[in-house]
Amino acid sequence: MQFIRVNMSEQTVKIENVPQDYVGLGGRGLTSIMINNEVPPTCDPLGSENKLIFAPGLLSGTSLVNTSRISIGAKSPLTGTIKESNAGGTVAAALGKLGITAIIVEGLAPQDKLFNLIIDQNGNAALQAANDFKGMRTYALVERLLQDHGEKNGVLCIGPAGEYQLASASIQTSDVDGRPCRAAGRGGLGAVMGAKGIKAIVISQKGKSPDAIADPESFKESAKVFAKAVKDHPFSGQMLGALGTAGLVSAVNSTGAFPSYNATKGVFEGWEKISGEFLAETIQKRGGQTTHMGCSQCIIRCSNVFVDEGGKYVTASLEYETIWSMGGMPGIDDLDVIARLDFLCDDIGIDTMNTGVAIGVAMDAGYKEFGDGQAAIELMEEISKGTEIGKVLGNGPAAVGKHFNHHRVPVVKGQSIAAYDPRGMQGNGVTYATSPMGADHTAGNLVGAYLGGMLNPLEAEGQVKASRKAQIAMASLDCTGLCMLAGAALAAPDVSEALLKMINAKLGTQLGADDIPALGIRVLKAELEFNRNAGFTSKDDRLAKFFYVEPLPPHNKVFVVTDEDLDSTFDFE
Amino acid sequence: MKIRAKLFGTLPQRYPGYDPSQGLEVEIPDGAKVKDLLARLGIIGSDGGLVAVDNLVVQHDDSLKEGVSVDIFQRAFGG
Repeated sequence: MQFIRVNMSEQTVKIENVPQDYVGLGGRGLTSIMINNEVPPTCDPLGSENKLIFAPGLLSGTSLVNTSRISIGAKSPLTGTIKESNAGGTVAAALGKLGITAIIVEGLAPQDKLFNLIIDQNGNAALQAANDFKGMRTYALVERLLQDHGEKNGVLCIGPAGEYQLASASIQTSDVDGRPCRAAGRGGLGAVMGAKGIKAIVISQKGKSPDAIADPESFKESAKVFAKAVKDHPFSGQMLGALGTAGLVSAVNSTGAFPSYNATKGVFEGWEKISGEFLAETIQKRGGQTTHMGCSQCIIRCSNVFVDEGGKYVTASLEYETIWSMGGMPGIDDLDVIARLDFLCDDIGIDTMNTGVAIGVAMDAGYKEFGDGQAAIELMEEISKGTEIGKVLGNGPAAVGKHFNHHRVPVVKGQSIAAYDPRGMQGNGVTYATSPMGADHTAGNLVGAYLGGMLNPLEAEGQVKASRKAQIAMASLDCTGLCMLAGAALAAPDVSEALLKMINAKLGTQLGADDIPALGIRVLKAELEFNRNAGFTSKDDRLAKFFYVEPLPPHNKVFVVTDEDLDSTFDFE
Repeated sequence: MKIRAKLFGTLPQRYPGYDPSQGLEVEIPDGAKVKDLLARLGIIGSDGGLVAVDNLVVQHDDSLKEGVSVDIFQRAFGG
């Protein structure tokens, strides 16, 4: 249980035991509680007072399947709120196997100086000058880093967008094939990493010093129960392997909640050409991989490898949210173009969602035509070059709306919505409006309740309660390092009990079933407190105005949850 | 009456030779409901989730009309 504290102002690295206050925390719980304790809420997100924290989950680095999610936290330059963005890949498992609870980056490097942080198989960490890597895109960067340091390393890195400190810049992580195609995309944390002066963090995957498990036998037994449940569940065990998350395209489109043409329509005419079914068929025909292991210890294999007509690699993995943001929102119904845009986002190091929506807003404002894939690709290159329009786009939809004086900007607290229109899935609108992170579907996504017929997506009734429950559950899950897709299996009581047993077996605690949601509430309270102290009020917990006044076809509904109801979302008792 | 059922997710795998562009032509009694169609296709319990007709979500107790195209999805969670 160790922290690596990196001071970029002095370029020092200190390894310390985890202080008692933070023992038993991991992932989002650790990043959010630490930021609330240690970062001045009104600080400049790109200044020296902000901290960038990388924390694997409580169960990362253990033998449990699907536990390689890393939480990255800081004050966000995009939203101005506290932020946790988590990503898959290999680094969380690597850090867990080294017994590293978090990397905390503080201060700012001198201007124009770049460094890499290298963590070896013994957990020793050192900064290395990285000015030679300046301006590199992530694929070339990671290829070189793995040549220099060996293939058995995981990498966290930024591309040009992070170096420009753009508000949509991502932190990319490498997958099991050593490609930087997994992203902590949300909230512009790549800009914070760029401001700190860190280009990459290279982490050995050969660590053999994970934290001791208090009760190894109990852990092993429950881990088997959990893995079997993930495999047996129709969603995580069958559908995701067959279609990936892209399987949601046809379903959400058919509910009329697939925001298209900058959220002016809820059904995308060209949906059959970008559906998960067509994606799988296309990949199969071309000899790519319809299912693929992207993250360490993954048994779901929702990832895919998209190839062009000649069978050459284009990107991994093409997922639902990106297919929407680069397809539905700008009106592009060509998977080859969408795949290229996905690759460019990973390579430049920028959030696919915020960027696709930014392009959609620019098209809606008349800057380019909806559906013009070539124009979208050219706009991505503008971002990479750091031109004036590129910087506007790279700062996200709100910046684009301001630049073109365009009113229809689907954001909350500056961050774009995800692939569920709040007028067609009202509860996701509650989550977008109230999440401490800005519009973020992963904070509490209700699509499962809608697709399962358990909640009417179009009525106000029941949405706040469902969002509250989902936001608490996700805040808890994000502490563990577990993938949310594996979380589908947790609905069964014996599986949630197995998870509780594993946490107790790992930590040597006697937590009860109520302690899991209590942890989620504790995390949310810390995040809400930080935001309040940063100056946010309930008036900020609202959707963009147009969602309340522009009906969305085909249901022709507006967002109908009242402000009063929104303000009761975090009435926990 | 005859209706057309289009299957999504992994549901098509249950019908060898299923053509995604055509779907399945299914004969059901006049006035049959969505749940009757699902039962006819053997889509039961947690298999079945959302059903839509012409991009509008329908409930399992809703009646179907002659000649409609019905989209049947599997239950899915967040992406």
